[in-house]
Parts: sequence; structure tokens; C-alpha cells
Amino acid sequence: MVYLIGVPLLALLAVFQSAILSHLNFLDGRPDLVLLAVVGWSLTGRTEEAMIWGVIGGLFLDLLSGLPFGSSAIILVLVALMVSLSEGRFWEAHLFMPLSVTLVASLIFYGLGMVTVLLIGRELDMSYALTRIVLPSTFLNLILALPASQLAAGLRDRIFPPEVEI
Amino acid sequence: MKRSTSQVLFAGTLILLAAGLLILSQGGYLIPLQGLILRPLSGIQSWITLRVAATRDMLTSPRDVASLRGEISQLEAEVARLQQEIISLREHAAEVEILSALLDYARAQPESHYLATIVIGKDISPFLRSLWIGRGSDTGISRGMPVVTDRGLIGRVIEVFPTQARIQLITDPDAAVNVKFQVSRADGVLSAQLNGELWVDLIDQNATISQDELVLTSGLGGKYPIDIPVGQVLNIRRRDYELFQQAVIQPSVDFDDIEIVLVITNFRPLQIEQSTP
Repeated sequence: MVYLIGVPLLALLAVFQSAILSHLNFLDGRPDLVLLAVVGWSLTGRTEEAMIWGVIGGLFLDLLSGLPFGSSAIILVLVALMVSLSEGRFWEAHLFMPLSVTLVASLIFYGLGMVTVLLIGRELDMSYALTRIVLPSTFLNLILALPASQLAAGLRDRIFPPEVEI
Repeated sequence: MKRSTSQVLFAGTLILLAAGLLILSQGGYLIPLQGLILRPLSGIQSWITLRVAATRDMLTSPRDVASLRGEISQLEAEVARLQQEIISLREHAAEVEILSALLDYARAQPESHYLATIVIGKDISPFLRSLWIGRGSDTGISRGMPVVTDRGLIGRVIEVFPTQARIQLITDPDAAVNVKFQVSRADGVLSAQLNGELWVDLIDQNATISQDELVLTSGLGGKYPIDIPVGQVLNIRRRDYELFQQAVIQPSVDFDDIEIVLVITNFRPLQIEQSTP
């Protein structure tokens, strides 16, 4: 069930990111919806599913990007793993948890993205990339972090209603 | 087994799977599969792009203003067409001089065939400067075809799937375009800096380039057709101790606001392979 919802959702988020969010630039940065979905689902405690979401979402991103097919998938699995190590489920209720996890996840995501760009032999102006792309994108991700984690928690409760002892 | 260990193992398995896909795609084995997945995605992407553009237009302009805007855009298109014609006439005049000097040598200049298509998205990676268009190999688009708008050159096709294709913009640092200056006739190579600025390098030190001079494709190297406007000279950097001078260019196209592009379909780029010793 979770994949029946997850796969089309991730495809839609990737398409939205390419078709709409690319016009809403803050400097040269833009929010990354697939990253937010993976982080949000990881924070619900369903880590293994989040990792699979990372692979699927990453493949959709790579389909609509000039980066090598599979590279974003690897990065997003690493991001989901990192979130799982933060025991997100335990701290889920805390307001700052989604923010701090999104901050670290964004920095890892864009950092590894830059490494990928360098690995495929392209030049990169580090200071330009940091100030015009990484920091503005991270800022936009932070703005969307709380609604994303709330939506993910809501989706989890709908798909897997909490068991109540009577 | 501890939970965290099993998670690391699971992540490792998924990373291996993704790495396998990466290797297969680098070998070109996944192109049919990618094309298959992109077919419905490009449909959704086109649909969303058109609806968003329509909604944005509806929200930003009242109805009576909308008709005026339509008229203005028609007039702008007409101005652009006339400018293109002036450029072409100037080019012809300059060419006549050159050709008469070359004992009436006539050069054939085939008419370009254009295929109009909408831009359905930008590259998802903010580190790359490319666009996705809503047409692909199904409509005859192939790798290397130049892409223009009514204002000038925007790039060329570098990746093709059945229903969509990726355009490398000339603002991408990996792109290089051989250009010439319209008045001074000097040649140079246009390339984008990492911060997105466009520079023409390798200009002869003896050439006298003026500000606002128009920069056109030179056709050298066979990657782009000749005489497509690229931009205008913003400023010139000339130092006596350097071999060449450079010019900063203001592109003729607004790369943040491209909705429809024209692919030149009858231009076949030259494939120059590196010779082996």
C-alpha cells in the first residue's frame, strides 16, 4: 500500500520540481520536494521504506536531470540512513527535530550532489555553488520541513492507524 | 542483529542496486527503459507546465490587458523578425564584399527547417544548466541539433528520448560556441563562466571590437549553423601582455523566461573525432 501511494507521489513531486519549482528561484536555489518526502517519511520511523523511497525518488530525479542515472538514488539512501541514525521517531514530536534533520540532510544532499558533478568531470565554482545554490536551497527546504514532516506523519497514520488497547 | 546494523546492511544493498543501475545506464543499456518511463512523465510534465503558464497568465493580467499584451507580443515578434532581417541583410552586405574579393565565389546557404516545441521543465539539478523540451526522437529530433528562439541561440540537443529531449544551454560551462563579431569580423569562442556570465575568448589582439557590437555564430567547427545571434558586447578586456582579448556578452535570450523554442531539424552537426596517433 505504501508503495502504491509512494511511487506515483514521488514521480509527481519530481515532475513538480522540474516544471514548477524551477521557476520559483531564490537566488539559484529551489526547494527539493523528493528530498523532503524521503526525510519526512524517515522521520516517521519507517526507515527501510524511506530508503526505498530514496531509491525510487532518486531515480525519478535522475530521469529529469543531466546527472548520471542512479547517483541521486545513492545519495537519497544515504540521507535516509542518516535520518534513521538520528532516532527520528523518538524525537518526532519535538519541533526542532524536522528542522535540524532537514538542515543536515540538505547539506549532505547538495554536498554529495556537488561531488557527483565534480566526479563526472564538470567544473564547479565552490563559492558560487555554496552561496547561490546550496544555502538558498537549504533555506527553502527548512521552510517546507515542518509541513512536510506533518504531512508524512498524517499519511503514516492513515496507512498504518495506531493500535489502541481497550 | 542490532536494528542499526540491519539498517546499514539494507542501505548498502540498495546502494549496490543503484550503483548497478548507474553502471548499466553509463553503458547505455537503460535508454529504452528510461524512454518508457519518461513517456507518461513528459505528458504529465507538459500538462502541468501548460496549466501553470495559463493560470499564471490569468492571474497576472486582467482580460482587457490580456488582449493588449497579445498585441504587444505580436509587435515584439514583428520587431524581432525585422531585426533578424536587418542582421541578415547586413550579413549579406558584408558577405558580398568578401565574396567579390574571392572572385565571385558563391556559398550555398540552405534554409533552416524549424520544429517548435514547448519547454516542459528545467534540469532538476541546480548545478547543471539545461532544459527539457516536449519533443524527442518520435518527432525526428536528434542529438546535436541547434535550438533557437526568435531572439537568438539558446543551445543544442544533447540527450534524446522518444518523447522529450534535453537541451544544453549556452550558459552551461561545458558548452562552447564558435562566434564572430558582426562589424569587426573577429572570431572567438563563447563559453559560460561558472557564475553564468558569457565570455568570448580567443579574440585576436588586433581586432577592434566595439561595445554593443552584435555577436553571431560563426559556423566554425560545424556544431552550429552560421549567423544566429548570440548576444551583444557588454565590455571588452584587452591587456597588452596577453595573447588574446576577451569580451563579456549580454545574451540576446532571457534564459529565465523561455517557454517555446525552435529546434533546427535540417542541420547536421559535424562529428569530429579525435585522431589516434
